[in-house]
Order: sequence, then C-alpha cells, then structure tokens
Amino acid sequence: MFKPFIVLILIFLSGCTTVVIDEYRRSDGELAAGDSVVILGRRHSSDYETEPNLIACVGRELHNPEMGVNIIPEKEFVDIMYPWFEPRTAPMHVRSLDRLMENREVREKMEAYGVKYIVWIDGSTETTASAGSISCTISTGGAGCFGFGTWDKESDYEASVWDFRDRELSGKLSADAKGTSYMPAIVIPIPLIARVQNNACKGMAVQLQQFLIPAAATSS
Amino acid sequence: MMYRIKEASTFHLAIVVIISVLLAACSHTVQVEGRYPSPVGQQLPLSVGIYLSEDFKNYTYQEESEDREEWKINTGRAQESLFETVLGSMFLNTVSLSEYPQDLPANVELVIVPEVRELQFTMPRETRVNIFEVWIKYDMNAYDSRGNQVASWVITAYGKTPTAFLQSQEKALTQAINIALRDAGATLYTGFGKVPELQAFLSGKLRSASLQEFKVKSIKAE
Repeated sequence: MFKPFIVLILIFLSGCTTVVIDEYRRSDGELAAGDSVVILGRRHSSDYETEPNLIACVGRELHNPEMGVNIIPEKEFVDIMYPWFEPRTAPMHVRSLDRLMENREVREKMEAYGVKYIVWIDGSTETTASAGSISCTISTGGAGCFGFGTWDKESDYEASVWDFRDRELSGKLSADAKGTSYMPAIVIPIPLIARVQNNACKGMAVQLQQFLIPAAATSS
Repeated sequence: MMYRIKEASTFHLAIVVIISVLLAACSHTVQVEGRYPSPVGQQLPLSVGIYLSEDFKNYTYQEESEDREEWKINTGRAQESLFETVLGSMFLNTVSLSEYPQDLPANVELVIVPEVRELQFTMPRETRVNIFEVWIKYDMNAYDSRGNQVASWVITAYGKTPTAFLQSQEKALTQAINIALRDAGATLYTGFGKVPELQAFLSGKLRSASLQEFKVKSIKAE
C-alpha cells in the first residue's frame, strides 16, 4: 500500500539532471556468438581520473548475455593483460594495437577471450559550484541543524569504440550531464541528490547498446 | 603526603593519556598489502637470481615534517610480492636469494638487486586537485655471476586515485601506492630490454647460446 507513496517520495527527493548524448558512428556493431566487449577507463591525465565505479556501472548496464553482449570486467581484463593496459602502457590510438599484437602471448590471450570491441571511456564528474551553509549544534537539550546548501555537478565523458579484429575506430559517443543537488536543513538535513554520474552512465549504456546491437534497437 | 603523590601521578597519567590520544589522532599508519598479476609475454632466456634485502622487504617511509601530519607507510611486503611476481615471470629460470653475494648458485647468470631510493606523496588539500598522488623511485642493479656490475638503472613509478569513492586518507593512499607499484612492475617489465647494458648482456648470451648450439650440431654431423 505504501510502496507507490515511497517511490513518489524518492522521485520528489532527488535533484534534477539533464543528460545530452552525441554520437558519431563509422560502422554498425556486429557481435557474433562468443564475442566479448571490454570497457576501460582512461587514467593518463594528471588532473582527473575516469572513475572505476563509472566504468563498472556502464559494464553492469550493458552486460546482457541473452542479447549477445558479454562484458569482461575492467579489473579482470587489466589483470589478465598485465602490464599492457596500465595507464603508462595502454594503447592511445587504434593503430598502436598493431604493435601490441606483435606480442604473440598478448594476441593469444585477446583471441582466447573473444575480444571484439574495446570501449575506452575518458572523462570525470566534478562539482562545479556550491553555495549556502548549514550549521549544526549539539546541546544538552538535543541536536539539530539549520540552513540550506546547494551544489552543481557536471559529468563529461567520451567513449571511443575500437573494433579490435578490424583494428579500426568504429565510432565515438559523448555524454554530458548536469545536475543540481539541494540540502535544506530544518532540524534534520534532507538531501535532494541529483545522480549526475549515474544518469550519465545509464545514458551512455543505452547508446552503446544501440551501437553494439543495432538490431535490438530497431526491434525495440 | 602519600595521598598528594598519588593525586599528582594520576593527574600526570591523565595528561600523558590525553597527549597520546591527541598525537595518535595526528599520526597515520599505512600497511600496504598487494597481490599483483604475472606479466603476459615471452620469457627472457636467462637464469636470474633475485636478491631482496631485509631493508627492501621491510621498507617503511616515515614522514616527520612540521607542515604535515605524521605518516608511516610500510610498502615492504607489497613491493616484495611485486618484484618476486614480475621478475619471476620475466626469465626462464629465477632463484630467490636469501644472501648476496655469498652462496650464489652456480647456474645464476645475472643477479638483480632493487633498492628504494625515494617515496613521495601529495594529499588533495596540498595540491587542490581531488586526487591522492604517489611517486616511488627504485634503483635497480644487475650483477653478473662474478659480482661485477652489469647495469644500473632507475625505475620511476606513479600512482593516483580520486578521493570521491574512498572512505579514508589511509585507504586512498594505499590504493594510490598499489597503482604506483603496478606501474613500477610495468616499467620494469617493458623497460628491461631497453637498458643498453642489459641489451648488450642479453645479445651476448644469445650469441654464445647459438654458438654452443652450432658446435653441438657440427659434432653430431661429424
């Protein structure tokens, strides 16, 4: 009886987020039975790092063996291929894959795992602005907070899809998400959180699914 | 009189306890543990001895700067695990040496001895960037079976981790150190063959091996 009420409260209590997805497609995805997709985060920049939880989220959303999308988790793949996909050694361009594949052991491992696509995600989520203040006090009579806080978050991610077998860039897509979170506090602070990174993840996962299995997108 | 002494000692004890608690609140201890994957690639045709000194295996970095809180970072066990895993997979045959240069096994062609030269780290509030960063520098030494130095080179490693998804400074720093150690392993593995002295040593060994093979074949043919 209370379930719809709780859902409504949860929707009401979350901040608003807008997500913009852009796509550039050179070729349609073609996943055969037994093919795998690897989603990796770029970690070479000095002032930000693509969050591992974002990569895990996209992987979780995309993984669907019934539809033929088999995702190899990032940590597992990077460990299997150590040290060739570390921030220092990872190929930065598709053409660098040719040089990496000259290593017989690396090539055999990639083939054994049936890697068809490597998706590189580069970007991060940052707090761009914040305002307001909340003060809390504790006394013998009790405790409480009063005030109002707000902060903006922005996600900016770009995914490059590499066709490992054909050694070509299959396409690129970008996800920009913005959202404002609020926290009014009248005795108890009530966080109204905008799930900016989570929405960027879901937006990217949907677009990547359409990219990798176009047949599923047209049928739905 | 006795009462006074007792009272004074209780008071002093309380002060000591309070000061210890306050000091402990400002000091951080990090024990880095890690398991590292074996590198993928061809093994080099060498029989190598690995000597990790006690100082290396128990390495603890201690920061006693006035501008910073006290940090004790023990990377000994983690770097022992890393170097044994990476060097153990790099060569056809490896032997862990408990002593060096004494008791060197006869079949060892090259002995590798790593040493920590430097460890540095920065916290987000120091750089105003939302990441923990770690740099580690290793001095690598390689000796031949007679104890002569074949090569000496430096490995620099870097690791960073954002603060957002981690709970404490200690955990964040541990993760950044683990990333730096993985980077050290990657640099060691991919850079070994690029050190000119080692390149020369390796090609010399390959030449003598092929000469030996040729001699065996010619004797058989006769």
